[in-house]
Amino acid sequence: MPRRCTPIPTLLIILLPFLLTFALPARAPGDTLLKTPFAQIRDQARDTQVRWYMFGGWAHVNTWVDTYVAAEMKKRHDIDLVRVPMDAGVFINKLLNEKAAGRKTGSIDLLWINGENFKNARESGLLFGPFAGRLPHVQKYVDPDSITHDFGFPVQGYEAPFGRAQFVFEYDTARIQAPPKTIPELKAWIMAHPGRFTYPQPPDFTGSAFVRHVFYAVTGGHEQYMAGWDPDLFAQKAPLLWDWLNDVAPFLWQKGQTYPKDSAFLDTLFSRGETAFSMTYHPPHAQNLILQGTYPETVKTFVLDDGSIFNTHFTAIPFNAPNKAGAMVLANFLISVDAQLSKYIPENWGDFPALDMDRLSAQDKNRFQAVDLGTATLKPDQLAAVAVPEIPAAYLEALEQGWKEHVLDR
Amino acid sequence: MSWTDNRAGRLISGLAPLLLPYLVLFCGGVMLTICQSFGVFTPLPHAGAALDAYAKILTDPAFFSSFGFSLGVAMASAFCAMAAGTFLAYQVWQLPAKLATAALIYKIPLILPHISVAFVVLVFWSPSGIVASIAHYLGIIQSMHAFPNILYSGWGLGMVLAYTLKGTPFAMLLVLALLVRFDVRQIQTAAMLGASGVRIFFFIVLPRMAPAMHTSFIILFLYGFGSFDIPFVLGESRPGMLSIHVYNLYFKHDLARRPEAMAILTMMFFFAVIFIIAYAKIVQRLENGVRKL
Repeated sequence: MPRRCTPIPTLLIILLPFLLTFALPARAPGDTLLKTPFAQIRDQARDTQVRWYMFGGWAHVNTWVDTYVAAEMKKRHDIDLVRVPMDAGVFINKLLNEKAAGRKTGSIDLLWINGENFKNARESGLLFGPFAGRLPHVQKYVDPDSITHDFGFPVQGYEAPFGRAQFVFEYDTARIQAPPKTIPELKAWIMAHPGRFTYPQPPDFTGSAFVRHVFYAVTGGHEQYMAGWDPDLFAQKAPLLWDWLNDVAPFLWQKGQTYPKDSAFLDTLFSRGETAFSMTYHPPHAQNLILQGTYPETVKTFVLDDGSIFNTHFTAIPFNAPNKAGAMVLANFLISVDAQLSKYIPENWGDFPALDMDRLSAQDKNRFQAVDLGTATLKPDQLAAVAVPEIPAAYLEALEQGWKEHVLDR
Repeated sequence: MSWTDNRAGRLISGLAPLLLPYLVLFCGGVMLTICQSFGVFTPLPHAGAALDAYAKILTDPAFFSSFGFSLGVAMASAFCAMAAGTFLAYQVWQLPAKLATAALIYKIPLILPHISVAFVVLVFWSPSGIVASIAHYLGIIQSMHAFPNILYSGWGLGMVLAYTLKGTPFAMLLVLALLVRFDVRQIQTAAMLGASGVRIFFFIVLPRMAPAMHTSFIILFLYGFGSFDIPFVLGESRPGMLSIHVYNLYFKHDLARRPEAMAILTMMFFFAVIFIIAYAKIVQRLENGVRKL
């Protein structure tokens, strides 16, 4: 019997699952929640479960969420908090798939998010809101001007502030007496000490931030980039950055042939003494590692006078969150004075508050000032003195792409 | 029409429990990947032309160096694993029955996940690792820095080592399965007729083992070419493995670059298909040639 091809039915069978996937339209959440008074939302959320998807790579942060936050949520709001560890890039893709599949009720209630991931999520309509302005603690304690933009992308109330981070370098006072103070001094140091410096490979978050510091410093400051993406400006300025990075590359760890793939790898090199510096986007990071016993007590942090980039990190609610009321109550609790203070204590986490200190009562302000940050962490005013904002996300993407092209694959 | 044919119908309905997940998951996934590579059904509306992503990738010399590097690492590790596996399988097969049971320990790496093999290599071969420490202790090297830079040599030696460790028992398993059905009298006859051990291996045993060797090579090669876990632990920045590049594009970059990630995946998929076909054709031709002799 001749074997004959039957193209149309076969094709249909192959296409069927695929067509099904896209035939279902993703519906926008038509929620009345945004008009409901918060007291009512609180009642609605009582005795429910909230699933918080967040980066799970920091044991101390996980512990803080599982103990303090979970216990307080139970006590104050009778809410069961479930922490789900997941990288932001991964949960964005999970939500994208859910949206494409038309899944109206997902499994994520709250996200820990910022920067590029927030931009990606907003641009593809993955977020519920605007809800941040509805949260009493945001209304009361947060300076609205401090949360208008996230990496240059308008926030518009689609995420609520959670904490503040700033970039610092780490060094061991037992090995280095006077660390470099500026980007030119850093370059001179690297060239005088071959093999003792490196940075994580962009698009790693920390390595990418290091590259932006150099970019600001060698091209005349951050102000020119704040207006938004300007391809001509970038084309004109970026070569200065590539030159700087390529000049130092032969003097880096492994002669710049390879880079640590993330900041944890760099921390390991630093703690083993292979490199003289590490870097982090989290001011209390060194203190945390000292408390854990990974770093010796002689480790300290420093910032460069050319500027140190800060950013705010946020919480957001997915479009298909099954318990949006619970998520709003949790987001509101996280930006409360009590939660921010607990988070600020280095033994818990050490993350800087996203509150406006001038809006707090004198008593609350004192509670923050009384926190002992430890020997390694810089004081808030030392950090504030050199703080510069993050670059708009379009520049960030161009810098990461350009780094691969002009520095790595040169 | 043949699709209404009874036998075919029964065959399809019988296979349905297997075919359905295959069609839904595998074909659906491949289709979506291909579509997104053309900028269709992407999370963000695609602004450019359908072939933009391909044009961008195919004009980037870094893509070709990554591609060549992935190819080289996969080839080297599949070949080493296949050769070592075949050799060891032959040795194990010749062992007396008692020892052959003990030799079952070769299966242990089979149950280790790839990622743990990667860590084993890292722990042993990094400049501050176990091998370097022993060499230092024995006075072979004077300091840690004198230890040869195996993991960051630019040649992917760490990855080749890990893939070989993981792949060798797999090749052994396949080859041994063929050898147990092999009639030992053929070897005895050849030996009686005066053939040397080497000659017996290459002219009698090897042709018997060839199908298992080809299969293990193809499987190990394709796995090494596309897999992610070992490069994630042992890979170097330059040249990077394709899988790491795709991972970065997919998870760590702007969503607008999704078509690029998908275009690379599509090309890797079709490369794998073409490779299998070409390999099978070549093997067939070679074997025909052998028989004619």
